[in-house]
Amino acid sequence: MTETRTHTAPRTETELEIGARWRVVVLNDPVNLMSYVVLVFRRVLGFNEAKARQHMLEVHERGRSVVWTGLREGAEAYVYSLQQWHLTAVLEPDETH
Amino acid sequence: MKRIEVKLSLPIVAPLLDVMKTATDTLRQALAAPLALHDLDAEWRETWTQELLEAQNAELQAFLGLFDQEFFATGIVSFDEDNAEIILRACTALRLRLRITALQALPDAALEEGNIDPEQLSAAQRNAFMCYLFLATIQELIIKHLDAILLGEADEETPAED
Repeated sequence: MTETRTHTAPRTETELEIGARWRVVVLNDPVNLMSYVVLVFRRVLGFNEAKARQHMLEVHERGRSVVWTGLREGAEAYVYSLQQWHLTAVLEPDETH
Repeated sequence: MKRIEVKLSLPIVAPLLDVMKTATDTLRQALAAPLALHDLDAEWRETWTQELLEAQNAELQAFLGLFDQEFFATGIVSFDEDNAEIILRACTALRLRLRITALQALPDAALEEGNIDPEQLSAAQRNAFMCYLFLATIQELIIKHLDAILLGEADEETPAED
């Protein structure tokens, strides 16, 4: 099973105090099976089947899906986990907050 | 422990092993899905990359290890809770690699829909395409039969009915 480790870059206190929020965005690729992407979303992000399928379809049809929003540290950890499953994910600032 | 055994056709699978080994060799120093985080600190990015590479290489070696002497004697490979996850990931890494190497010339839509006539491909492309489909079949089998294990639900008991 997946090893639980911290995979977030060291942050300065100032950065942490800002409390900026980040989005984890999964990008489409033409290779991965839909069932595989659903499994990864359930496994890594804890989605139920319906929510995982909804995000998978969004990735497939729109090319991207925001799967998580929160502090940078948590966002980086999710990106790392998604990369372990060979999905491509990026971070972008959540400017709605 | 839930376990599935799959009997494969040796004459069909054996030629695909060379394709998989070649793709594996090209992945020793390259991530199948390159990091797309461009604002990571350089040192941290290197740490991530090395850790992901080590994990990827371990997955690929475990996958190739399925095709051992026993496989050549029986044609059988087996999947269980110990190897399901790493085999799934290895198949993904290899499919991603094949996509950008031997299958680069094929359109995305045709590949996604399986709308490709193998007879129209070169010998190298045909082998790579058959390998691409074979890996997907392995993934579908694992997901179909070991989904609960992969999601950590294997030990859950079905509630008894009154």
